Amino acid sequence: MSDAQIDVRLAAVRKSFGSVVAVHNVDLEIRRGTIFSLLGPSGCGKTTTLRLIAGFERPDAGDVYIRGERVTPIPPYRRNFSMVFQSYALFPHLSVAENVAFGLRMRGMARSRRAEAVRDALALVKLDPLADRYPRQLSGGQQQRVALARAIVVKPAVLLLDEPLGALDKMLREEMQIELRSLQQRLGITAVFVTHDQEEALTLSDRVAVMRNGIIEQTGAPREIYDRPRTEFVAGFLGASNFIDGTVVAREGDTATVETSAGRASLRGDSAIGQRVRIAIRPERLRMERFDGAGLPARVRDIVYRGPVTHFYLESAGGPLISYQQNAGANEWAVGDQVRCAWDPESAVVLGSGRA
Amino acid sequence: MNRARVAGRTLRGSGTVIATTLILVPIAIVVVAAFSPEDYFEFPPPGLSGRWFVEFFRLENMRSAFALSVELALLAATLSTVLGTLGALFLARRRGAVAALLQGLFLAPLVFPTIILGVALLLLYKTLGMPVFPGLLLAHCIVAMPYGFRTVLASAQALDPALEEAGQSLGAGPLRTFLLLTLPLIWQGVLSGWLFAFIVSFGELNTALFLTGPGVTTLPIEIFSYLQFQGSQLVIAAASTLQIALIVILVTAIERIVGIGRIIRAR
Amino acid sequence: MKSAWASALVVPPLAMTALFFVAPVLYLFWVSLHEASPSELYGAALTMQNYAAVFADSFYVAIIRRTLAVAAVILGLSLVIGYPVAYFVALLPPRRRMLVLLLLLFPLMVSNVVRAYGWVALLGRRGVVNTGLASVGLIDAPLDLLYSTPAVVVGLMTILLPYMIISIANALAALDTRYEEAAQALGAGPVRTFLHVTLPLSTPGVASGTLLVLLLTLSAYVTITLLGGPRSKLLVSMIYDGVTAFQWPHAAALAFILLALALALTMLVLALLRPARVQGTGR
Repeated sequence: MSDAQIDVRLAAVRKSFGSVVAVHNVDLEIRRGTIFSLLGPSGCGKTTTLRLIAGFERPDAGDVYIRGERVTPIPPYRRNFSMVFQSYALFPHLSVAENVAFGLRMRGMARSRRAEAVRDALALVKLDPLADRYPRQLSGGQQQRVALARAIVVKPAVLLLDEPLGALDKMLREEMQIELRSLQQRLGITAVFVTHDQEEALTLSDRVAVMRNGIIEQTGAPREIYDRPRTEFVAGFLGASNFIDGTVVAREGDTATVETSAGRASLRGDSAIGQRVRIAIRPERLRMERFDGAGLPARVRDIVYRGPVTHFYLESAGGPLISYQQNAGANEWAVGDQVRCAWDPESAVVLGSGRA
Repeated sequence: MNRARVAGRTLRGSGTVIATTLILVPIAIVVVAAFSPEDYFEFPPPGLSGRWFVEFFRLENMRSAFALSVELALLAATLSTVLGTLGALFLARRRGAVAALLQGLFLAPLVFPTIILGVALLLLYKTLGMPVFPGLLLAHCIVAMPYGFRTVLASAQALDPALEEAGQSLGAGPLRTFLLLTLPLIWQGVLSGWLFAFIVSFGELNTALFLTGPGVTTLPIEIFSYLQFQGSQLVIAAASTLQIALIVILVTAIERIVGIGRIIRAR
Repeated sequence: MKSAWASALVVPPLAMTALFFVAPVLYLFWVSLHEASPSELYGAALTMQNYAAVFADSFYVAIIRRTLAVAAVILGLSLVIGYPVAYFVALLPPRRRMLVLLLLLFPLMVSNVVRAYGWVALLGRRGVVNTGLASVGLIDAPLDLLYSTPAVVVGLMTILLPYMIISIANALAALDTRYEEAAQALGAGPVRTFLHVTLPLSTPGVASGTLLVLLLTLSAYVTITLLGGPRSKLLVSMIYDGVTAFQWPHAAALAFILLALALALTMLVLALLRPARVQGTGR
């Protein structure tokens, strides 16, 4: 992969605030035309990482590259990026059109060309009739679109978004997620956004970096990090997960048999005999079978109906288990039932404890 | 509402009326006295006359004191507002012990006994040989600076901190960010700060007591001297009324610009 | 981003404050530690005599006592009158409240000499009070109301009252009504709600009003002189007298005794009221 295809690169970047290490030795590469998200809980360093790309923070060590150019010493107003802020940060004393034109004005574009570019950008976010309004006259969703238009009209090398959908209600948020993605794909802009909402990250991104305590625990495509988490934290953060501890007692080809306190189970992989493992299985992959079948024995403790799926909370000798069952037909289980839990060997993932 | 609460409210309401009267009556008396046709003040006044205002403008020392006060106020307000604005912009986003200390320092002249400042400056000026007018101007600046600082600080802190960064993300350097984004949003704080500083400088007395010189007197000092040495008192009623009128105009101007709410909270 | 650019902003105001506020006051302190001199501003020898002499002289001690007494009375009056008024004002609907506060703010902008003059016109021998009382036949000869300590107290109190009212009213108006509602939900009637919830939570406003009134009382030279006359002098008048008599070290010492008093009172108020526990940390 040549450098020309990598729009953003962070090399061994570190940033502390006083005694708190916010970002600890982060390496990142973001390919042109993709959406990359930084996902993690509060305080994990994702916003700091974003601000390091922007230049609002300077790294204590390491370098930031935008389109191959080392921008570490360059202040934000001379870097080739634009940003959508969590509070939108629309200039209250300027109209919508003037807001959107601002970046073009800074770049010295002629007035007539500016007006045209602004019109096009507003049309893209479907706000053309509101060009002469002022930010305070707009709804939250409309303000968010103006912020977006203002950021994309300058055709930046990278578009940064800091929890851009956080202030919107659920339905609007889902709508905007789809619009954002289609907009990005249409324009081919490289985008980096920060979120703590794992669903959002999975929906929008081409690649996700899950962060915790200033470190990237795993980077990968949404499917990959969801189905094959490398650490317990990543498994737990991206959704509910079952964790089962056991020891490998037998192998046959690439299938291993694991002895757990709840019984025997099988998984794929190259773990050696005698190795202690912790396996993660997504609840939707944990099948519930009749008691006389094969699998780990467990008892149904609680049932929660959730519309399209039902959540079953189970108790096994090895600890609690969760299973999601689609409500495609009649549900046979009741509280107190004894069941057997089984899964396809490919569904189980062996977890490491370190970084990806 | 039960009887006790109604009684409480009525008591406090009448207390408010009494207190407000006590506070405003002395000022009202001065204004009434200024229009007195007699040589001395008599209440109730037998009629209304503008003779004392004419007399005020006839007297050379009164005219020049008035002119000096205006000139000083204009200069001091401008200088102190510029300095206060710089300080406010610096401290708007800063936290921590040093920032708190600086903020305390910039606000200190509000409560520091200005008479002691006057003595201290007099001593310093005597030692350095400072000429009267600049010395007086600097003293007025120190006294007036907290007002500009405070109102601009309130305006600057009310700004979304992301606004500046948004400007930078779009390519605006520090100067353009300030001129195009910050200033248009804080100008009300700057202007009302200027007006407050003007009012304060115009009425400043305690430092001027020591720092004025022969031929260089401010209006409040003239009024004070007349009062102390029993000069013709009614002409100073006219002088005082002029000052009051000026303040009414300026406070109304501030209210129009920033609205009552912002002024009160800035206090 | 904090660049050198941004840091340079503070230099002009800081220089101004350092040169013409901090430096002169420090210089004044330096002078207070020197001997008096007939020909120079101050003599060469260092001494604590200026301070010692003040406390050894019963005249000055009496003045200091009178100053503190006046300050205490004015503070007490302004609290007793000011708090109920502030409470009333804080409960007014927003527009009317703002108008009343503006009405109270306006006198603070009028120069103290003009406001003191108003009291002179009220209390003088030919003033409003005397002519009024005489015209209804209550007195035969004009009363000597002016040039006394009570005149200073009354005049200064009304001049400083708006500071107290505005401080407390702002604090009360900013109170979240939900605190009072929570108290009532727990069974506290109006009086106990006020005593246990409203009053303590208004402490920051009371503290700032108290400090303003105390500090301004100590330094209100013009009002004290005009209303007190030559026989009701307070500490601040002594400073002025010292300066006009060219006794610089003596005047300087008196000035710093005044400052020390102000500081001591400030710390006392803050320790008694502890506004910080309501305001919380930070900021």
